Amino acid sequence: MTAHAGTTGIRNLEGHAEFDITWPWARPVGLRAGSTAVLRVKDEAPSLPFVLPPLLRSMDHVLVVDNGSTDGTPEIVTETARAAGFADKLTLTSYPFQVARAGAEHLAVHELSVHSLSYFYNWCFAQVGTRYSFKWDGDMVLTTEGETSLGDLAWQVGGVQSIIRVPRHGLYLDGTSHGYLDLGLRNAEEWGFPIGPDFVFTKAFEWEVRTTPASVRSIGLPHGLCVELKYLDGDEFAHWTDPASFATSYRNKRKRREWAVFNALQEGTVLPGVHEIHAPDGMHIVDHVTREWLPRAPRPLEVGTVVASDDQR
Amino acid sequence: MSDPVVVAGAVDPSEYPRKVLFVAGAGRSGTSTMAGLMQILGLHVPKPEVAADATNPKGFSEPQWVVDHHDRLLKEAVVQVSDSRPEAWFETGRISTRESERIATATWLDGHFDVSPELVVKDPRLSWFLALWRVAAIRSGATPVFATMLRPPAEVVGSKQTYYANKLGSAHLAASWLNMLLHTERGTRESVADGGRVFVRYADLLDDWTKTTMQVGEQLQLQHVLHANSEQIRDGHRFVDPSLRRMTQSLDDLGLPTRLHELTAETWNELNKLAEPGGDTVEAHATLDQLREAYTDLYAESEAISRSSVVAAEQVLRKQGKSGGGAGGPEPAPAHAADKVPHGLRAAVPAPVRRGLRKMAGKERR
Repeated sequence: MTAHAGTTGIRNLEGHAEFDITWPWARPVGLRAGSTAVLRVKDEAPSLPFVLPPLLRSMDHVLVVDNGSTDGTPEIVTETARAAGFADKLTLTSYPFQVARAGAEHLAVHELSVHSLSYFYNWCFAQVGTRYSFKWDGDMVLTTEGETSLGDLAWQVGGVQSIIRVPRHGLYLDGTSHGYLDLGLRNAEEWGFPIGPDFVFTKAFEWEVRTTPASVRSIGLPHGLCVELKYLDGDEFAHWTDPASFATSYRNKRKRREWAVFNALQEGTVLPGVHEIHAPDGMHIVDHVTREWLPRAPRPLEVGTVVASDDQR
Repeated sequence: MSDPVVVAGAVDPSEYPRKVLFVAGAGRSGTSTMAGLMQILGLHVPKPEVAADATNPKGFSEPQWVVDHHDRLLKEAVVQVSDSRPEAWFETGRISTRESERIATATWLDGHFDVSPELVVKDPRLSWFLALWRVAAIRSGATPVFATMLRPPAEVVGSKQTYYANKLGSAHLAASWLNMLLHTERGTRESVADGGRVFVRYADLLDDWTKTTMQVGEQLQLQHVLHANSEQIRDGHRFVDPSLRRMTQSLDDLGLPTRLHELTAETWNELNKLAEPGGDTVEAHATLDQLREAYTDLYAESEAISRSSVVAAEQVLRKQGKSGGGAGGPEPAPAHAADKVPHGLRAAVPAPVRRGLRKMAGKERR
């Protein structure tokens, strides 16, 4: 079974009619031109003040779906958009059901359950009103070049049926002025997709996957345009059932690399491909890396040869 | 031209912050006049430049490398300089994401900051690659600023037909103008890296270039313009020729399809608002968004209606390909196809067009 079997939408197994899904292209108003970034967030309050401003500047719209945060994430989202002057571009909404964690827990849940990652994603993207969308995480921060690149593609893509891949690099934060940037992994996942019946979410083994037509165009941005924040004093793997979930499969190479880098840094070891970076006085390490260090790093960026499974197209 | 007068306490021009002015807009809209004036006032046009010719006797102020670079990229993207397809923007945008092209563009740009901290880059193809140049500026530690020239679309179309012997017809040229201007406006909206943008009416530039260029200089904080000396200003007066604007056609003269006519007229009206002080507003952007959407819809409808023409053209090409692959092989192109064209007619084709045709035919002169 695939979730996109319904022509106008899908109903969840639990009978929560208010959370049934109506496909946006099937609505009478249809879709408008432009791009929307969709963030599903849970307890991302520390990261969102870095994540949201560049996204709000580069996208036509940003949709944040909170999933049970307890750290004040919704308030931070609203305040960050207001402070950046883009409150009109933001939609903040809430999805109240507990969603299965990646890995074994996800595998056990039916894709038409409100607890399924695929159903959650389909519901989120069904709230989009533009023709193009970017799936985005609550810890992904664009560099200056990344922001302008995504901002240009966001309108250039128009009605073209193409996927856009965005490489990202883990930035492990040790306080506000010190961090480690992992350039040891080549990882360019598919983040940009058209909104339409060919591009909905269905179930994969560890997580959700977006359907595509058999033959689809795909373009990728260069490396060095986006970092993913990791907190060395936090639990970076809480959304996984357990580390064994990504211990073996080739699909989970990125997660295993993150596990290795995170634990090595905890033990005081800097693995090959990881750069230790100090921010100048008065500047936050995230701002330093995204506005100065990465934009000025020599090109082509020296990125390791470990290739994540999604960087294959 | 005399040396700039050194004012006590003034900032040494070599200390000006790095800035690059991109002069965008449709060809034949006064882009050469704007870039030429900026050059006279002290901004640097990277050398070598495209040589002046009969179509532009005062010179183009175009770096040759930029023209060649854009020609190659357009060819790779399969996009024409005058291309009316809204989807063409993704094709050139796609090329602009390539790391190799970003490196080549940034390396070239960076090298010219050794000559001057304020550069001006202009080429009629520039709008297609604004995203690429914005990245190049970021990588060079420079602030990109944009000036888009505005000229009534009927005059642009008339000028292109006259000077480039364009046989594609006014509807195509008007649609290409719409596509170019509506998307150039979108592509130059404020981004985190930018230092601002201006829209300049060609008529205003010819009417009073001192007032117009000072407004541009102030808005974009172009230090060479703000601190231009008397001799540079005299040179500006020698350079600007109000008779350059020879075309006075109206939109009615073009005989466009009704919807295209309306969209062109509405777009021109809206773009004009951007050239007014304080006119570059969120409200104006919203209206232009609607016009861009309307044009995209019109193009999609036209494309759907004319699908039979595309299919027929594909079949003809396929048939030619098949017959070409037979025992006789493809019909060889004449050694010099141009030889079949009478000399008088050949001479009437402007030099840049001749160069382009030679390039397309693989007969470039070395």
